[in-house]
Amino acid sequence: MKRILYVMAVLFLLFGAQLKLTELHAQSATPPAMKASAIQVRMIHSDSDDVKLPADFQVSLYENLIQQLQKQGGFQHVYREGDHNADSATEIVVLHSTVRGFKKGSELLRNVTTVTGKTSVKIHCRFTDKDGKDLLERDLDGKVMFFGANLRATFDFAKKAAKLAHDNFAARPAS
Amino acid sequence: MVLRSIRMAMIAMLGILGITALPAVAQKPATGTKVTQFMGLEGVKPKAGGTITLDGGNLQFTSPKGNASVPLHSVEDVVTGNDSQRVFRGAIGTLTMLAPYGSGRFLSLFRSKLDVITIKYRDADGGLHGAIFTMAVGKADPLKKEMVTQGAHTSIPIEENASSSDSKPDTAKEKKP
Repeated sequence: MKRILYVMAVLFLLFGAQLKLTELHAQSATPPAMKASAIQVRMIHSDSDDVKLPADFQVSLYENLIQQLQKQGGFQHVYREGDHNADSATEIVVLHSTVRGFKKGSELLRNVTTVTGKTSVKIHCRFTDKDGKDLLERDLDGKVMFFGANLRATFDFAKKAAKLAHDNFAARPAS
Repeated sequence: MVLRSIRMAMIAMLGILGITALPAVAQKPATGTKVTQFMGLEGVKPKAGGTITLDGGNLQFTSPKGNASVPLHSVEDVVTGNDSQRVFRGAIGTLTMLAPYGSGRFLSLFRSKLDVITIKYRDADGGLHGAIFTMAVGKADPLKKEMVTQGAHTSIPIEENASSSDSKPDTAKEKKP
């Protein structure tokens, strides 16, 4: 009986690992994207009435994303939405982010129970060129599971999105 | 003699009152709201404690960690909300997590409520910025009202916002007839 359980556990782990490998392979199989010297970040919105994103989360996602892109380096300029200077830039990618899911947890619950109260946000990231042609699409998430305030989930997402942008489009190596 | 001394005392009192009243009147526009700039203002470090003053159509944030000024006509949206934070924060808060017999968890039950104001504004180049401020309970709605009076825009009317318990996204406005 014990052996059967052991074999089942090993098979389950192998199956999980294979799924992850397939996913990674699919991600790496995407065609190499263009290299850009600048990136413009659009304000993050939710495209559905079902997803209610509070204003402080929206602003925190946007500001953290810009901050992380500047911190990672690789892009000569990081433009904000509406910045007129971006109009004259030639090698530029535009990041459009759409919130697909949001669950506001509770810091109190996390502190007290450790295992509940998770805050998570799921965001669809779409990179386009200046003319709006799609270059790359990816779903990313941000979460805070144990320590920290709810807004820390936005920092988690920003780090992942900045890394994705850097790995696929940055013309210069990370500073 | 007695009347004369009473008259003198009255004049002296009026003089003192006049002197103390004048600066109070002069400082009235400069009285600000104590806030913590959570993030977003250019040139100010995150989580900087300071004062917001609305003067001459500008939002002035002054703190030891930096100052910033935002023209209120460039503020596209002001939204209020509420939140809470641990009473024991920072390094002490981290240390309490290590306290024995679950006392750290018990201490994390002590929380203080906060008001939150989120603004979106444009810089001189048209770039969109956002900033988040936290402040004591009951301070956000009067501040928002004053900002709107001085030229800021909002996607959620003040009366409705005051009655709501949590911040609403932009979509909240679109739902209304």
